[in-house]
Amino acid sequence: MKILVPIKRVVDFNVKVRVKPDGSGVDTANVKMSMNPFDEIAVEEAVRLKERGVATEVVAVSCGVAACQETLRTALAIGADRAILVQADGELEPLAVAKLVAAVAKKEAPQLVILGKQAIDDDANQVGQMVAALLDWPQATFASKVEVAGGKATVKREVDGGLETVELELPAVITTDLRLNEPRYATLPNIMKAKKKPLETLDPAGLGVDVSPRLSTLKVAEPPARKGGGKVADVAELVAKLRNEAKVLP
Amino acid sequence: MSSYRAPLEEMSFVLNELAGLAGVAKLPGCGEADPATVAAILEEAGKFATDVLEPLNRTGDLRGARLLEDGSMRMPPGFRDAYWKFVEGGWNGLAKNPEYGGQGLPEVVAAAVEEMWHASNMAFDLCAMLTQGAIEAIERNASPELKALYLPKMVSGQWTGTMNLTEPQAGSDLAAVRTRAVPQPDGSYRITGQKIFITYGEHDYTENIVHLVLARLPDAPEGVKGISLFVVPKFLPDAQGKPGARNDLRCVSVEHKLGIHASPTCVMSYGDGGGATGFVVGEPNRGLEYMFVMMNLARYSVGLEGVGIAERAYQRAVAYARERVQGRAVGLEKGAKPAAIIEHPDVRRMLMTMRAQTEAIRAVAYVTGAAMDHAKREPDAEARKRHQAFVDLMIPIVKGHSTEVAQEVASLGIQVHGGMGFIEETGAAQHFRDARITTIYEGTTGIQANDLVGRKTARDGGAVAKSVVGEVAKVARRLGGSGDSALKAIGSRLAAAVATLDRTIDWLVSNAGGNARVALAGSVAYLRMWGVVAGGWQLARAAEIAAAKLAAREGDAAFLQAKVTTARFYAEAILPWVDAHAALATGGGEAAVALPAERF
Amino acid sequence: MILVLAEHDHASIKSATHHAVTAAAKLGGPVHVLVAGHDAAGAAKGAASIAGVAKVLHADAPHLASPTAENLAAQVLAVAPSGYTHLVAPATGQGKNVMPRVAAKLDVAQVSEITAVVSADTFVRPIYAGNAFATVRSGDRVKVLTVRGTAFDAAAGGGAAPVEAVPVAPAVTRGAVVTGQELTKSERPELVGARIVISGGRGLGSGENYRKLLEPLADRLNAALGASRAAVDAGYVPNDYQVGQTGKIVAPELYIAVGISGAIQHLAGMKDSKVIVAINKDAEAPIFQIADYGLVGDLFEILPALTAALPAR
Repeated sequence: MKILVPIKRVVDFNVKVRVKPDGSGVDTANVKMSMNPFDEIAVEEAVRLKERGVATEVVAVSCGVAACQETLRTALAIGADRAILVQADGELEPLAVAKLVAAVAKKEAPQLVILGKQAIDDDANQVGQMVAALLDWPQATFASKVEVAGGKATVKREVDGGLETVELELPAVITTDLRLNEPRYATLPNIMKAKKKPLETLDPAGLGVDVSPRLSTLKVAEPPARKGGGKVADVAELVAKLRNEAKVLP
Repeated sequence: MSSYRAPLEEMSFVLNELAGLAGVAKLPGCGEADPATVAAILEEAGKFATDVLEPLNRTGDLRGARLLEDGSMRMPPGFRDAYWKFVEGGWNGLAKNPEYGGQGLPEVVAAAVEEMWHASNMAFDLCAMLTQGAIEAIERNASPELKALYLPKMVSGQWTGTMNLTEPQAGSDLAAVRTRAVPQPDGSYRITGQKIFITYGEHDYTENIVHLVLARLPDAPEGVKGISLFVVPKFLPDAQGKPGARNDLRCVSVEHKLGIHASPTCVMSYGDGGGATGFVVGEPNRGLEYMFVMMNLARYSVGLEGVGIAERAYQRAVAYARERVQGRAVGLEKGAKPAAIIEHPDVRRMLMTMRAQTEAIRAVAYVTGAAMDHAKREPDAEARKRHQAFVDLMIPIVKGHSTEVAQEVASLGIQVHGGMGFIEETGAAQHFRDARITTIYEGTTGIQANDLVGRKTARDGGAVAKSVVGEVAKVARRLGGSGDSALKAIGSRLAAAVATLDRTIDWLVSNAGGNARVALAGSVAYLRMWGVVAGGWQLARAAEIAAAKLAAREGDAAFLQAKVTTARFYAEAILPWVDAHAALATGGGEAAVALPAERF
Repeated sequence: MILVLAEHDHASIKSATHHAVTAAAKLGGPVHVLVAGHDAAGAAKGAASIAGVAKVLHADAPHLASPTAENLAAQVLAVAPSGYTHLVAPATGQGKNVMPRVAAKLDVAQVSEITAVVSADTFVRPIYAGNAFATVRSGDRVKVLTVRGTAFDAAAGGGAAPVEAVPVAPAVTRGAVVTGQELTKSERPELVGARIVISGGRGLGSGENYRKLLEPLADRLNAALGASRAAVDAGYVPNDYQVGQTGKIVAPELYIAVGISGAIQHLAGMKDSKVIVAINKDAEAPIFQIADYGLVGDLFEILPALTAALPAR
């Protein structure tokens, strides 16, 4: 069984991003980039399925600029067998990425697509669901446990207020949540091996996918700054303010 | 709150632009070290340092290693797990010989990775550092049988190694070693004696510990030429390498130290039950000679500890200075809001001093690391010799100066924190305490300076030293003639400093023989002078390269601009120390040795 | 016309729907609510009573009892063609699960977790974990949106919209099958990552007081519990409760500091919280300088009152 793991190169989660002074976006020039943490969990899960003998091959795929190769190498160092870069220079919206991944999936015919539930840059939380829709495959989002046997995946998923177990007939799409696993550290020997593993480059046109954007970003702004020092007179005022002003209580 | 982040951009710049990683990667056996792979290695090592090693640093400091009643060592919580993660990650074998399971990566790459281990948890990394020394000693000198039996397990990290040199009466003077080794009919030796200051002499990480022990044969000549080196394992391995009988050696106590609490510093007793079994490494009576070859690497590693601790102290100070709001910044309009202390000029001065010095010692260390690779692997013997001469000159400087700088930087780190720096919880104090050992072990700064004056400067009439001075002067001239005002300023300051160093070398060469007491009284000043000039040299090169990239609109402009500014600060604020050092180094030491000993 | 996918438990409508309706009402045009469930007349009635709702569409079928993304998306797609310009869902676990499927099937973009409506085609949404807010315009004919509930007030009750039964989309054959559900008991969330954190300090006086005063409040809010180093040192709680420079670093949406003076080491561990509440008897305590809402007074009176003022979960 083959597993396809789409991964995204994002601004490292330790980097505190800054909004550009002209409000056109956040400043991502020369900041440290890393694999989206949820995707790292996806790679780990796929590699574990391979180590358990469930999967036979793990293929990592990333859509974006040439530098995504570094991120793919990271996936190869964790244990993916080979990698595909769908090279595109402009910004790719989730729908475009989903179409590219679906096109790669049609080509590769995996039994499972495992990917992060959301990317920590745009926080969209869309691609996995969209891939499933485009392929007409069943989906299990926000997975916290995955078992695969007898042509089926049994997935525990995080839902509001608890867990839900679903069964999926393969092929299927699974998106990962935080508790699914703890990704390993790539070992030095595996980092060295990763550069010898195959990495293929495709392009959107070759896959027949139109990636033109549907959204335009008009402005990006900082969140309102903290103004400490506010006081309330009593509990009633506190609760009212938390509800109506801060909106942190229902 | 500050958590260590490996300075990847800075490390890559130094490796690629100053240390010439691409050139190293062209050396035989170094082909794996292409920039992309090295970047991936540094990235993952940085993650490991931040996520696994650093969180244990304070726990290790608070809990320390403890010797239990039964003679076993209780390591601080989490250390054993972290050690095995380290081993499973393959990190122990990074620069080791592939023949024994290592990855064979160049020293200069290992240097950057080691810096991260030291920065995030120096006490933890000492175990791997000592193992590395033991591996080196065995690999260079031991019989094929000993190598086959011990090296694969030590390279992987399954077994660790220690270096047993010091005895109560034999510290810097190893000629005084008294531990005895008596030959046995089966070719082994019975070792009896006591060793002190044995780093990681006992711990709970691994099934075996391989002690390398300096001892005297019954018929050995007196002094340094009568010392032999032995492998004395905690458990005697069978032919397949499975640890068997417990050897007659034990840790009898563990020292209470100023810093590096998690690193067990042991008193080791050999032969309480009649004699520990040991195996001679190489030829008898050549132990000290073997040790000294290995010691270059160990001294280099301690220099990297200085770099690591300085970097860590700097990062912590910057984080605090950004966060701590006190007073209003000078020069800003009235009514301005209270400012973070990083806005205050004197805090800036301290942070710049920390930053510039740290970048300088790093650059000098990595450049020396690359030279070590060239010295080991250049196909041409002449080239190897040339690089080795540079390495030999630089090792006492990297060791002596980097660790002295680490004291200053860690101390400034506390100062930036103000009163909070004196409070242990803040973390700045630990760096200060941990750093303190680095100017002492593997040869004190004084010992390094003696080496630099005697063997490295005077012995060849200053030839190697002068050739390096020539290189520095060339860079200074180039920058001095630059149209860029910052580069020009750096160049002229560097030219003055290197000229002073040049004159000091002349003085030493003519006075080291006849006026040795005075020359040696100023030897540390001479070493510091070298350190300051070498740092200025590398930062000047960095500024020159950064300025060229800025002009070509290449790379991260903010980073490159900071390189130029940092080099300029160094030239203006640090290089002037060369004059003060020169005063002491060229005869200013007369008063130091003039007072009769009884007047003290 | 705007369609809102309701969040409900069949018997009743959930408040997430009320917040989504408020967002939908800002888009211009009549707001319809789709209640897809099984035996969900109660929920449909609840939806009909939300002020500003023009019509409730009720699809009822056994396969919508524990609806999967596949079946819910199919149901939304079945009603979507009747002239809806916007398809809206609360950004709950369900909304996030379903709406991207809908968008992909319609070949349109989704705009996730909007926090403001600028105009019918322009929305504000958080990116980079709320460290920036993007204003985006959608050029698609149909806009698929999910709505961050905390950014919009709940729509009031008192409405009386008609409820119309709509044809049920057939169950998707190749879809996930729900085989089990475990609802979390009142287990507290982990300190790091919790949406709400309540921390106690030396002001609580003892471990017993810590438990007696903070646990009931944490239960009401589904909050994680933390502590200052002083409280840990005093033995009120174990070490892993510590928030601060040498403890855990947290940045929840709501941080409530109780009896904590606000030593710089503590602030370092929580100052990035979105909203900070401080309760302390010392009006000069440094914690108040960074608190959004400071309440000066006796925490032994304030805490029980605060707990009582919040609904039981």
